[in-house]
Amino acid sequence: MNTFEETAIVKEIIQTLIKAKKTIRTYPENNPVYSKIIATTFSKFSVFFISNEELVLKIKLNEILFGSERVYFNQEKEDNLAMFFFKDGIRELQFRNGLTPQELEEFLKIITLDFEREAVDDDIVTLLWEKDFQDIKYVADENFLVEDEEYGLKAENEIKGKSPASHEFQRAYTDAFKAEDLGEVAVINLTEEDLARLAGEINEDNAEDKLEKLSGLLFDILFIAERPSDYEDLVNFIKEAMQYAARSGDLRTFTYILRRLRKYSGDAGINETYRKHFSSLISLASSEESIKHISGIFDSEIETDDSFLNEYTEFLDRNAVSPLISALGEMKTIKGRRKVISILVDLGKKDIQTLVKGLKDSRWYVVRNIIYILRHIGDKKAVEYLLNSARHPDVRVRREAIRTLGELKSIHTLQALRHSLDDPDLSVRKASVEALCSIGSDTAKRIILAKISEKDFGERDFDEKKAFYEGLSAWDDPDVSEFMIKTLARTSLFKKSQMDEDKACAAHCLGLMGKKEAIPSIEKLKDSGNRLLNDYAINALKRLEYDRQK
Amino acid sequence: MTDRNDIGKTDAPKNIINTFAVIIRNAQIHDLNNIAVKNAVEKFMAILNPITAKYGILTLDLIGEFFFINQTRIRYSMEYLLNFDFLLREFKKRKLGSIAFNNTLTTHDLQTFLSLFISSAFSEEPFEALSEGTRHIVSIEVGPPKTLRDREEGEYDIRKTVKETYFNAVSFTKGVMNRIKSGEKESIKKAKRIVESIVDIMLEQDELLIGMTAIKDYDEYTYHHSVNVSILSVTLGHRLGLGKKALTELGLVALFHDIGKLEVPQEILNKPTNFNEDEWKIIKKHPIWSLRAILKLKGIDSLSIRAAIVAFEHHLNYDITGYPKLSRLVKTDLYTRVVSIADQYDGMTSSRVYARIAMAPDKALSVMTERAGTQIDPLLFKFFVNMIGVFPIGSLVLLDTKELGLVYGNNTAFPDRPRVMIVTDSNGNRIEGHAADLSEKDGSGRYLRKIIKTIDPNKYSINLADYLL
Repeated sequence: MNTFEETAIVKEIIQTLIKAKKTIRTYPENNPVYSKIIATTFSKFSVFFISNEELVLKIKLNEILFGSERVYFNQEKEDNLAMFFFKDGIRELQFRNGLTPQELEEFLKIITLDFEREAVDDDIVTLLWEKDFQDIKYVADENFLVEDEEYGLKAENEIKGKSPASHEFQRAYTDAFKAEDLGEVAVINLTEEDLARLAGEINEDNAEDKLEKLSGLLFDILFIAERPSDYEDLVNFIKEAMQYAARSGDLRTFTYILRRLRKYSGDAGINETYRKHFSSLISLASSEESIKHISGIFDSEIETDDSFLNEYTEFLDRNAVSPLISALGEMKTIKGRRKVISILVDLGKKDIQTLVKGLKDSRWYVVRNIIYILRHIGDKKAVEYLLNSARHPDVRVRREAIRTLGELKSIHTLQALRHSLDDPDLSVRKASVEALCSIGSDTAKRIILAKISEKDFGERDFDEKKAFYEGLSAWDDPDVSEFMIKTLARTSLFKKSQMDEDKACAAHCLGLMGKKEAIPSIEKLKDSGNRLLNDYAINALKRLEYDRQK
Repeated sequence: MTDRNDIGKTDAPKNIINTFAVIIRNAQIHDLNNIAVKNAVEKFMAILNPITAKYGILTLDLIGEFFFINQTRIRYSMEYLLNFDFLLREFKKRKLGSIAFNNTLTTHDLQTFLSLFISSAFSEEPFEALSEGTRHIVSIEVGPPKTLRDREEGEYDIRKTVKETYFNAVSFTKGVMNRIKSGEKESIKKAKRIVESIVDIMLEQDELLIGMTAIKDYDEYTYHHSVNVSILSVTLGHRLGLGKKALTELGLVALFHDIGKLEVPQEILNKPTNFNEDEWKIIKKHPIWSLRAILKLKGIDSLSIRAAIVAFEHHLNYDITGYPKLSRLVKTDLYTRVVSIADQYDGMTSSRVYARIAMAPDKALSVMTERAGTQIDPLLFKFFVNMIGVFPIGSLVLLDTKELGLVYGNNTAFPDRPRVMIVTDSNGNRIEGHAADLSEKDGSGRYLRKIIKTIDPNKYSINLADYLL
């Protein structure tokens, strides 16, 4: 007889199991809620095991019994824990003292599976059987497996009906003496070497290369198919093999199949229908589903052979661009993102129009990656789309866009770059200067000169001003030298410190440009009252002196 | 209360048997004070002590061909296979059935026992000598083997379960094949459960299960053959050291290996005479049809990949001759080579439409021996012979006592000394079968019975069914 307390504990265990089923389905393993429910469920069992060695639950259609006590009852079809076990034949569950949290977690993972909706190929008994838990046992009713209850009896009667008559035994006995003598019976003993060879065979029988083998067989059979329906089946199997390879991250087999398809499609004598089917199969490489799975490999810990990756990318067509952009957004590792980016750099060349659609992605990092890709592709057609990105709300995107616009060296970008010289973010403003420098046109120069000459430019930080002047120094021409030297000579009663900063920048740049004619003007500044200006002037002079000695 | 059966959950039992065998091996060569013996003894004590501390006692029983520790059967482990067999022979040599160690065991006690154990092998009555000597060691007790009768009484229920499992599998296979043939959708879930039950039984009682495959002459050969191939493959797979999950996979793959035969026209399948060239062409397509049927049934996943490969390859020989012809040479899969052995053995020993008289099991084995290295993987075949015995279950043998016997059980330690059902007396009169273990000796150490000739049981319709079912 179970005590009242024990029954109460068991009821709690059942309720916790039900809660755990829902929680585990909802939360990923790394979520604290997930870990908590495992710990809670385990603690409920632990309480029971303080005074018991084993918890035995009898499973009925709509109820669960602990001894004779009903600890669960539900007549609904949905979310019925008793029915969940009962329908697959489980009639008893035993949890033994010694149960570990790991075992319990594995058990919970099994009972969390939605056998009705998910494509699970096993029933609950099979999953429990395969796990072979040490401290969770079950009793399953195998009756539902019986197809024909009478079969055994009928077969037994049939075979026994063929029993020989006694004289057959006598005949066998008589013949036996006429039979050949056995002589020495050879007993084959197994040796250590046999065991070592067997271990080698088992290791060699690696499940990983089975799909490739099967795919090879499918191709062999394909060309000897006699009926159209056989041929269709085989094409379909090859398609399924590709999908399975992609799903299981088997890039090797995936490329193996593609390689063979390409070989056969290229055969001059192949019939057109075959060629069409093969092309359609090759296009699977670029399908959203394939890319989703294969890009998952890049993100995973699986070591992939780069030669397979390179080969795979050869098969991609422009249809792959869109799924690759989606995949880019899902990548969790830098390693994975780099691989997808490298593919898109190659592939995007074929279809800039699709690639630039990625600039509208809601995730800033995807947009930034697309801009990066466009920069590496280097196609000026991208400029008109990048102009919008230069006004993107995220500073990281704006910076990347400005940099790219600079590298694309298109005159159509000047307006946008001019605008970006007033960007709220310093790094973008600096990037704009660099971009203008990169373009290097006279107009670009004038844009910077104009900006520096603006009234309020002096109010900017020294660091920024220096960047602008440095950018300007990239144009080593008389306009710039003259502007710089004029700056050195400027005087004003107001905002003297700001002007000193401008002078420091000009002196620094004239030094960089190696303008010896500026030495007299810089000499005048080295003893100014402004420490910053003194330092920059002295350094510029040193540089110019050093250049002269060279 | 602690359950003694908990012992089976760890690796300790396998280690105990292995280490005990190592001690005996070393002690037979070296003095007991030799470092190799001492190290082995220390290791043994280190494994044993926690168990005796927990359970009070550890009993090592040899029942039939299997070791049991605290009543739990210890499964064969490939890595320790040779030491298991060695210890089994050492037990049998001494007619020893059990050793019990209790929690007061000391290293000194164990060394004393070892000395007795070694010397008892040279005694005319080894068990008595060992038993007498051990009476003075409080912590160790030895017992005689359980008799065949004791064993068989315990086997009655398991025999019933084995029978049910077997016929259930055949009936299921029949149903599944019929449904596939009529184009119905078939789930693999049930098939998995069926094979799991086979694996479970095989792990407990492989001999009875093999016995069921040795019963021939059923009308529905195709279904029995599929199940037999599955059972023999699973049993061989177990001998090869495959785990439970792999055994289920192997069993399923074997069960469906011939599924393409459903497409072979009945008039060809049931043709009582030899096939002509055109008919052979059709027959030779069944591996391809099997592959296609499996992939259609299940789509592509890890199991169907294996099953399709085996179905395609099962008539390809070890040297890649056979059919279907391949565009390039590829080594056949391990599972294919297992299934192929099982398939050939069961096929040869069964009566089929086109080969009415089945081959005697020992004859089939000798044909297969000739094929080893060309048609059959020689290494796997070696394991198969060890599993099935020199005189396989179902063999009809003449004993030196002039009795006729039907082999019904293998003896791992002495493959040429199986267990037989005596079916005639020494005058050839049919008698109610009684069991005899051919490794049993009389008081003077001579074997009670020995096989001198083998006869084809099929010629006389003498079948194990009368004794096993």
